[in-house]
Amino acid sequence: MEIPYYPGCTLKIKAMALDQSTVAAFGALGVSLKELPRWTCCGAVYPLTAKKIAGLAAPIRILREAKMMGSDTVVTACAFCYNVLKRANKDFTADPLRKKRINAYLADDVRVDETTGEKIREWPEYAGAEDVKVLHLLEFLRDRIGFHKIPVKKPLRGLRVAPYYGCTLLRPAKEIGLDDPERPTIMHDLLRSLGAEPIDFPFLNECCASFLSLTEPERALRPSYLIMSSAEAEGAQAIAVSCPLCYYNMEARQLEIRERYPDFKGMPVFYFTELLALGLGVTLDQAIGWKEHSVDVRRLLESAGLIDKGDAAPSQGPCRAKEEEPGRARPRGAAPVDAA
Amino acid sequence: MKRIGVFVCHCGINIAGTVDVKKVVETLKGYSGIVHAEDYMFVCSEPGQALIRDTIKQKQLDAIVVAACSPSLHEATFRRVAQDAGLNPYQCEMANIREQCSWVHQADKEGATQKAVRIVRSLVEAVRYNEDLEPITVPVTRRAVVVGAGIAGIKAALDIADAGHEVLLIERNPSIGGRMIQLSETFPTLDCSQCILTPKMVAASRHPKIKILTYHEVVEISGFVGNFKVKLLKKPRYVKEGTCNLCNKCIEVCPVVVPSEFDMGLAWRKAIYLPFPQAVPSVFTLDEKSCLGLDPIRCGKCAEVCTPKAIDFDMGPEVFEVEAGAVVVATGFDLYPMSKLGEYGGEKYEDVINGLEFERILSASGPTGGQVRRPSDGRVPKDVVFIQCAGSRDPENHMPYCSKICCMYTAKHAMLYKHRVHDGNAHVFYIDVRTGGKDFEEFYQRAVEEDRVNYIRGKVSKVFKQGDKIVVWGVDTLSGKKVEVKADLVVLALPLVPSAGTEELFRKLRLSTNKHGFIQEAHPKLRPVEHPNSGFYLAGVAQGPKDIPEAVAQASGAAGKVGALFSAAELLREPTTAEVNDLCDGCAFCVDPCPVQAVTLVEYARDGEMKKKVEVNQALCLGCGVCMATCPKKGIAVRNFTADRFLSMVDAMLTD
Repeated sequence: MEIPYYPGCTLKIKAMALDQSTVAAFGALGVSLKELPRWTCCGAVYPLTAKKIAGLAAPIRILREAKMMGSDTVVTACAFCYNVLKRANKDFTADPLRKKRINAYLADDVRVDETTGEKIREWPEYAGAEDVKVLHLLEFLRDRIGFHKIPVKKPLRGLRVAPYYGCTLLRPAKEIGLDDPERPTIMHDLLRSLGAEPIDFPFLNECCASFLSLTEPERALRPSYLIMSSAEAEGAQAIAVSCPLCYYNMEARQLEIRERYPDFKGMPVFYFTELLALGLGVTLDQAIGWKEHSVDVRRLLESAGLIDKGDAAPSQGPCRAKEEEPGRARPRGAAPVDAA
Repeated sequence: MKRIGVFVCHCGINIAGTVDVKKVVETLKGYSGIVHAEDYMFVCSEPGQALIRDTIKQKQLDAIVVAACSPSLHEATFRRVAQDAGLNPYQCEMANIREQCSWVHQADKEGATQKAVRIVRSLVEAVRYNEDLEPITVPVTRRAVVVGAGIAGIKAALDIADAGHEVLLIERNPSIGGRMIQLSETFPTLDCSQCILTPKMVAASRHPKIKILTYHEVVEISGFVGNFKVKLLKKPRYVKEGTCNLCNKCIEVCPVVVPSEFDMGLAWRKAIYLPFPQAVPSVFTLDEKSCLGLDPIRCGKCAEVCTPKAIDFDMGPEVFEVEAGAVVVATGFDLYPMSKLGEYGGEKYEDVINGLEFERILSASGPTGGQVRRPSDGRVPKDVVFIQCAGSRDPENHMPYCSKICCMYTAKHAMLYKHRVHDGNAHVFYIDVRTGGKDFEEFYQRAVEEDRVNYIRGKVSKVFKQGDKIVVWGVDTLSGKKVEVKADLVVLALPLVPSAGTEELFRKLRLSTNKHGFIQEAHPKLRPVEHPNSGFYLAGVAQGPKDIPEAVAQASGAAGKVGALFSAAELLREPTTAEVNDLCDGCAFCVDPCPVQAVTLVEYARDGEMKKKVEVNQALCLGCGVCMATCPKKGIAVRNFTADRFLSMVDAMLTD
């Protein structure tokens, strides 16, 4: 099965682990994710200015690209991109005038024919949801493959993972419609089908602080702390996410969180696709984005029997060293912690 | 040609402020058949009516058109005036130049005036075709069916029966009593709910004119006002009423334990049970859903120990029909499902409960004997959070309407809790406190001032469990601060919704509802106890959220309407029903579409040949005109609504 795949910018820079594990895991499932030949940023945050066309042009251009690949579906792994693409598609479909204007605007794009090098100005009209549906990979797994049909090779037995959904995967519920925004179960179900034990915890849909990490990095620590300590209190050993920003707030900044809140013992954070890849028996270096894990994940994977003690696992990201010498190094990308 | 008179009403400035009534009168004067036209300030006033009466006599008018408001308001008034002046009442028509003209065209006076002329002309054409009609008289069955035996149904039944009419009180549950019997105490007087309701239940069961049919359901109602046929389903209770002596032996041996509906699942009952000690009728019921298969070989323990041999596994459902003249719908309410309130941990945490569950906990007959204990571990909760509007007044996610009783019952809950747990804290999150009712505000103030209930103005954002505490996050919008309460018990004031199954029942009975399923009244202000379908009356929360005093008042109102209906010797029905003429050739196109099965096909012999023709049952026909629309040969028509009349009306409307 081939399916158009929109990775999004972050997956090519900061969240390569998500991209790499996604492609590897779906490869193991027999699904070939075909990256769109041309794509741009989706806009990252859904434009709330109603009726404006420029904000929707980027996501609609991406969806048109999927249509040109001859598919009625495009999948994405990033929760933010999913949120933007799905809502853009919905609003575009519902408003005929806006649809017409965006199509007229996008008709001016210039396309270069790959074989002849000729510049072409002809584009198909994009009709909306009837042309292309936007699916998150969790949704694709649930609705198109079926969790129970995933051929698990290495069950994640004994691994207690707290599925963390965050905001953009679930809300606004009427537009996204992936799952119940207050009691989501889709990631629970996936983890269960992989043999892991999903740990329900009350903060699974609380905000991780999102972009506050950039504007007020100090304040942004508390929400992530509350989420992870709540999962820890319920007995989770790790957290699973689908959003690079949640991952950043909880994983890359975890040392800062531990410095600020010493009662928090620390917890590995995984992209759900990493766990999927592990379960499907993908090789360790393909399944896990070692360089992006600042928190030690090896010990946990060993204890769950997913890595043999003797196995050479690739070294982790820079944070690991810092964990051994607390107070000196600091996590990648995090704001400097005042030495005083 | 008929001599027609036209009277144009100013209705103060309601019409004359927009429509130039003088000009309307002048324009109409030359119109064919109009021998008199004049305007008047308030035609509906006594002098206005006298003016019409006198003019009819002086000018020897054959028909009149009153151009004023909607016929739904004053048609009856002016038809009576016409009758007083010696005309047949059907020689009067109303032209609606207010609701359909002046009120909607206030910005275009010229256009509104022209439109008024056209409307009046078309009604002049209508009245030109009108024939003299006499009302149809039908007999009335003086027996009422009351559907639902909560406080509203019981009260309606008692009042109708006290007026001397027979009542069948239908209840789908094993006992009458409804929701009110589950309550602990009632606001604003704090008298015990059971203590005031059980006398009414007993009175209903003892009343010679009331027949209580519990464990029965309404299947279908056909016919029309005064002459309904009500089809009822008697569900098997597998215990013979009258034979069972309530010895309790069957309960002792029954091995099946299921959650008790009466105790909102907070206690248990057996598969054979009495819902509560004061149940009426006082007879056990065997719940076939939880019984071990009604199969004496598998279990049958209850039948073995039953000394009076009251248990009969061979009972089956019975369907039977009764005749009735009026139906009172008092089907009550359920609470909005807790499971939909994920943000408040509804149905996820045992110690997040709804208002009815808390009523059972507070009730002296409840699972804790009236001691406040929380469901999870039976501890006495020291901090209780009450969340008002937990789903009400939330158009985005839940129900947009106000459930009306929650402010008061929450104040009552908090107060009763404080009376029983003196060192406990009661916190109430609210949007507003609505205390519209006699002595209600004083009751709420008592909760705040005497019982020191902590009222916090703001919504709750999240409820979650931490250890054995339920943490409630909210906001105090008066101080602008976030609030966190570590509670032991959380009580949600959920929206009231129409009781389960009524949506389907109302659809079968063709009873219109609003979009939330509450049954529609005939007029929101002036006919609050009647349904638009005549013969159906409303009582209680089935019509909309209301408290006990209001439900009782509405029930008495409905009973009064039923009494008035039954006081007539016979009922008069509108004679504007379908009539078959010689053009009918019996094609029977109209037979199936008729919504009330009033049309039948008959065969008859003429000149030695068999012919076919349809016939209309005048007592059933509603005059809706569906048959007319299907007839290819103008062989059937509703009296005074013929096709020729409509075409002339349209012509008059369109001609300049």
